[in-house]
Amino acid sequence: MFNLKDDIESLRLWRENIDRKSREIIKLWQSTIEDNLENLGNEKFVVLEQACVAALDTYELNVAKRCIQLLNSAFPNSIRVRTLEAMWFEVDEKYEEAMHILENIIKQDSTNSAARKRKIAILKAQGKSIEAIKELTDYLKIYMADIEAWQELSELYLNENEFNKAAFCVEELIIHNPHNHLLHQRYADIKYSQGGQENIEIAKNYYCQALKLNPNNIRALYGVYLTGTHTSITKNAQKKKDSSKLVEWSVKEIEKRYSKVSSPLSDLEERLAALEV
Amino acid sequence: MTADLIVDPQIRFWVFLPIVVITFLVGILRHYISILLTTQKKVEIQQLQDSQIILRARLLRENSKYIPKSSFLIRRFAFNKEEDGYLTQKRPPVTQNMMTDPAMMSDMLKGNLTNVLPMIIVGGWINWVFSGFITTKVPFPLTLRFKSMLQRGIELSHLDASWVSSASWYFLNVFGLRSIYALVLGENNAADQSRQMQDQMSGAAMAMPPDPKVAFKAEWEALEIIDHQFGLTDAENDVVSANN
Repeated sequence: MFNLKDDIESLRLWRENIDRKSREIIKLWQSTIEDNLENLGNEKFVVLEQACVAALDTYELNVAKRCIQLLNSAFPNSIRVRTLEAMWFEVDEKYEEAMHILENIIKQDSTNSAARKRKIAILKAQGKSIEAIKELTDYLKIYMADIEAWQELSELYLNENEFNKAAFCVEELIIHNPHNHLLHQRYADIKYSQGGQENIEIAKNYYCQALKLNPNNIRALYGVYLTGTHTSITKNAQKKKDSSKLVEWSVKEIEKRYSKVSSPLSDLEERLAALEV
Repeated sequence: MTADLIVDPQIRFWVFLPIVVITFLVGILRHYISILLTTQKKVEIQQLQDSQIILRARLLRENSKYIPKSSFLIRRFAFNKEEDGYLTQKRPPVTQNMMTDPAMMSDMLKGNLTNVLPMIIVGGWINWVFSGFITTKVPFPLTLRFKSMLQRGIELSHLDASWVSSASWYFLNVFGLRSIYALVLGENNAADQSRQMQDQMSGAAMAMPPDPKVAFKAEWEALEIIDHQFGLTDAENDVVSANN
């Protein structure tokens, strides 16, 4: 019994933090939760939903089916349950059925953003990125403050090599979250890939900003070096001087970082930590 | 002061405690009735879009220095262009259909049903059944001014102000049971009448859906006057000097 209490507590914690711990959730489900569903009280249905999504994530179709059946008998015709059902079809690659359910949900409740997002996810899974992009831009016309959607759209555009449009999306992300160094770095990457003197100048600025926000960002440091070498080829004497100073500094800095590393595995954790926001 | 008043102990069992129990139970009942009556508010997709537009415009205004000038200008144009910009689009006025909207009316009716009616009925009934009793005494002396508050229903000019009449005891309960409800029903329950009275005071202004036009106009103006400065040009020097 004590064990159950602990398990419920950790499930609650993951739910509130929106952690993706599908394997752990399924493990808990199989060991304790499944046999104790009736003891959960008010939380029963939320836990069922959580377990269902986790099961879909780990391809435990039977577990998911059981959750959906239990939820369906408790809340027939609930939109939330039907979204889960659509996801079940989606995992099973029955995209037609999933689409059909989702479209019905949207017809019934036009403000349901989850269903619209799932639709885009299906299009992406089917490899129809042009349709996914179109659907996603329509979505963003309504939910234009949805950061996740902008991020997804930028990735879709990058896959299509539409650097300009991808840059626009990343700009939107930066506006929403100006202190995330990874976004600045991503924007600089795009601008650098576009090429051209002006874009590389901008890329340099953004690499520097990323480095300023997180001095451990080694990719940004390399970016500073590369863009610096580009911009040092110019006729403007002052700019040339500044750029070569920057290049010199970045090379020195990179060497310093590498000399500190003794064995490649020892500070793996430290380097992963540098990726944190 | 003369010798103290002696209150019949029967009053404790037949007036004092019943008032507490009745107000408490009515509060619980109100909570469940209002749960039964609430309908999920349907959000119009247009409203949703409007709020998102405002949000995005505000963020653009606040963080404009983090994006290059051309990108800022593109966005400002999209928001503010002469016609059909996000902030300048023509909208049919929303305020007229407020009164004719049946959903709005039934919402108001439900609000009255759970707020005002019990207040009047239960309050009136208590006043009628338990009127004229002295129920309790506050354990400290009070000035005459408190008489009208604590001795409603008893018009005795010589009675000490610290005695509490039954009608006043009811009102003390109505306003004082908030923390008990929070304990029994959890936070944000609908049983608490005093909170709803406050809502009603300020409610008249709040119930009106905010007209997007006004907010759009303000946001449009704020965006118009921004002088864009690209904030990352110094990043280069900052980084080099900070690490040297």
